[in-house]
Parts: sequence; C-alpha cells; structure tokens
Amino acid sequence: MPHDSFSLIWSLQILLKAALVVVLVSKKMWRKFPVFMAYATFNLIFGILLYVLPARGHVYYYAYCLEMGASLILGFGVTYEVFRYLLSPYAALRQLASSVFKWAAIVLVLLALVVLYVQYSLGQNTKHFQAFLVVEEVSRIVEVGLLMFLFAFAGVFGLHWRQYVFGIALGLGIFTAVELAGVAIRAYFGDALGYGVAVLSMIAFNFSLLIWMGYLMAPELSAGRPEEAPHRGQLEQWNQAVMELIYQ
Amino acid sequence: MTITILVIAFALCAIALLSTAVRARRNHAVIQAVRPLDLNAFRMLMDRDDELFLRDHLSHESFSHLKRRRIRVTWKYVSRIAGNTSVVVRLCENARQSNDPEVAQAASEVINLATQIRTQCLVAFAKLSVEFVVPSMQLTPAVLESKYQSLRENVSKLGSLQPQNVAPLASAI
Repeated sequence: MPHDSFSLIWSLQILLKAALVVVLVSKKMWRKFPVFMAYATFNLIFGILLYVLPARGHVYYYAYCLEMGASLILGFGVTYEVFRYLLSPYAALRQLASSVFKWAAIVLVLLALVVLYVQYSLGQNTKHFQAFLVVEEVSRIVEVGLLMFLFAFAGVFGLHWRQYVFGIALGLGIFTAVELAGVAIRAYFGDALGYGVAVLSMIAFNFSLLIWMGYLMAPELSAGRPEEAPHRGQLEQWNQAVMELIYQ
Repeated sequence: MTITILVIAFALCAIALLSTAVRARRNHAVIQAVRPLDLNAFRMLMDRDDELFLRDHLSHESFSHLKRRRIRVTWKYVSRIAGNTSVVVRLCENARQSNDPEVAQAASEVINLATQIRTQCLVAFAKLSVEFVVPSMQLTPAVLESKYQSLRENVSKLGSLQPQNVAPLASAI
C-alpha cells in the first residue's frame, strides 16, 4: 500500500473509478458501450488490487503489467467503439471513414515501429521494465493518433458528436496524450523523473474520470431551433459580386 | 533525445486538438446559422463554357487574375454549402430518432445526402486550391449544385412530415 502524498491522489482515483462504474450502470451504458463499460470496470478492479498489494514483489509487478496491457487493449477497443458509434448515422461516410481509419492505423503502427526501433537502437532499454515502457509508448502513439484522427475527421465532415460519445473520446484522449508524454519521458530519462510522471499521469486519469462522469450525467446539448437560424440579406450582395465578376 | 521530443510534441498537439474540439463544440451549440444560397448564381460560377469564353478573349494575365477572383467567390459559396449541410445534419439528428418510421427514414436520407455533399465540398476545395495555384488548369467541377438541390427537396419533404421542427429549415436553405 502506498504511504505518501501519492496515496491521496490514488485513493481519490479509486473513488472516482467506483463512481464512474456506478454512473455507467445507472445509465445502462453496457448496452451502447460494452467495451467502455469493461474498461471502466477492469480499471476499478485492478485499481483496488494494486492499491492493496505490497508494492515490491513479483505479484505486484505481474498485476501491474497485466493491468497496463489489458488497459491498452481495451483503450483501443473503446476508440473503435467511439468510431463505430460516431459513424453509425452516416451510411454515406462509413466506407470512406473505415478505409481512412484503417490506413491511419497502418501509418501509425509504422510510425510506432520506427520509434520502437530508434529507442532500442539507443541500447538504453535493456531492462524488462524499460522495455515495457517503450512498448507502452508505441502503443500510446497509435492510440493517440487514432483519437486525433477521429476528432479531425469529425471536424472536417462536420459530424455531430452526441454528448456522452464526445465525453468518452475527450477523456480518453486527454489521458492517453498525457500518458504518452509521461511514458516517453520515463523511457528516456529512467526512474529519475518517475515519481513526477506517475503523479502527473494519476492527475490526468482523475481528470479524465471527471470528464467521463460530467459528460455522462450532463443533459444533451440542444440542437438549436431552426427558426433562429436563417440570416437572409447577404444573398443580394453575393449576387451582385457574381454579376460584377462575370460582366466586368 | 530527438525522438523523445518528437513524441512529446505529438502528445501536446493531441491536447491542442482536443481543446480546439471542445471550443468548436461549445461554439456549435451557440451558433446555428443556415445561410441562404442562390443556386443559379452558383451554377453560373461553376459554368465551364463561360470560363472557356473568358480564356479565349482575355490575355493570360487578365484571365489568371479574373479566375482567381472567381475562385475566391466560388470558395465562399462552397463554404456556405458545407456549413449549411453541417447544420442540416445536426438539426435532422433528432428527427432521425423519431418514433415515426417515415420521419426517421426521410431524416436518414437527408443526413446521407448531406454527408455526401460535405464530401463533395472537400473535393471542391481541393480542386479550387489547385486551380487557384494554376489558373490555366481546368478541373472537372465537383457535383454540388444538383445534389444541393436534391437536399433542398429532401429537407422540404421532411419538413412536410415534421412541420414544427424542420419546415423552417427547408425554407432557409
């Protein structure tokens, strides 16, 4: 069990994780987002397990590795779930989006492999844990890249995010981006900055938990009333500009 | 060290993109402006015969200058189409979840058409950019005008099914 100020943030995180699971269950989110539900539940169970296990020992180490590996895989699952849900109303875009998403994933995996190669060729990551950090770093690159792609794609095509879908993607994006920066720092500098990075990562995850809960509980933003929409008057200016252009 | 800096920069870019998305979402909730569009004027702008005529009767320099001005105006029209389709998608989202299957079907068709137009707008932007750089180049114009007309008709059809929610939109676009 941890015995410093870190413990306070960690305890808070477990409470927030539990609260998130309660919110998800109360909203019956396993129907719409089963992978995100699994991600949240798994995080809660392993969060408690890692908190109560003695921090120095093989059991803790393997539990930590298992938690990290499964979180990464479930994180990818959540990203894909968000992608599918976001695209579900847009039949015309689905095929295009799927192929662009696939190519983005391929490019990101190649980029991650380059990072992996460069990090290993430096010869600094011979220890098991360091190697594990590098693997996490490359996985996070792919995850962050796919989330960025999702936001960029939705922005370019003006897709409408439902409140909770946006919240899930935003929370995951913030956490994975901070985690990526942290893992890159730890993989390069070693344990010298380990404590600070771990605290930062914890704070980022707590922030993401708050975002998830906030977006899940907040009411859906109104789509606005079409009566408010039209601003007529510029039409004549445009016509005039075009006429001037054509008949000059 | 370089690769670590690049990875950290990548993570920071992601955070910047996320904050932009949050701001855009907030603005999107506030600003809902459908802007009317004169399709006849747009058709004239996209008319390639007119461009051929200008090319034959003007010097190369004058033609390039004129074409770039024309592209600037066209760009604004295409932006307006893209903006309107985005608003249409957003406003038809609720109709798509209607309990009335006819309304839901009509709303789905509108959303499909609007996303197709949005894709065509991206193609149009790309082509306009190329033509702006090389005015002598004449690329096939994106199919926007006829699709936008279909969108209007579909939104009108949906408006007749949901007069209180969609009818004002149909008259606005």
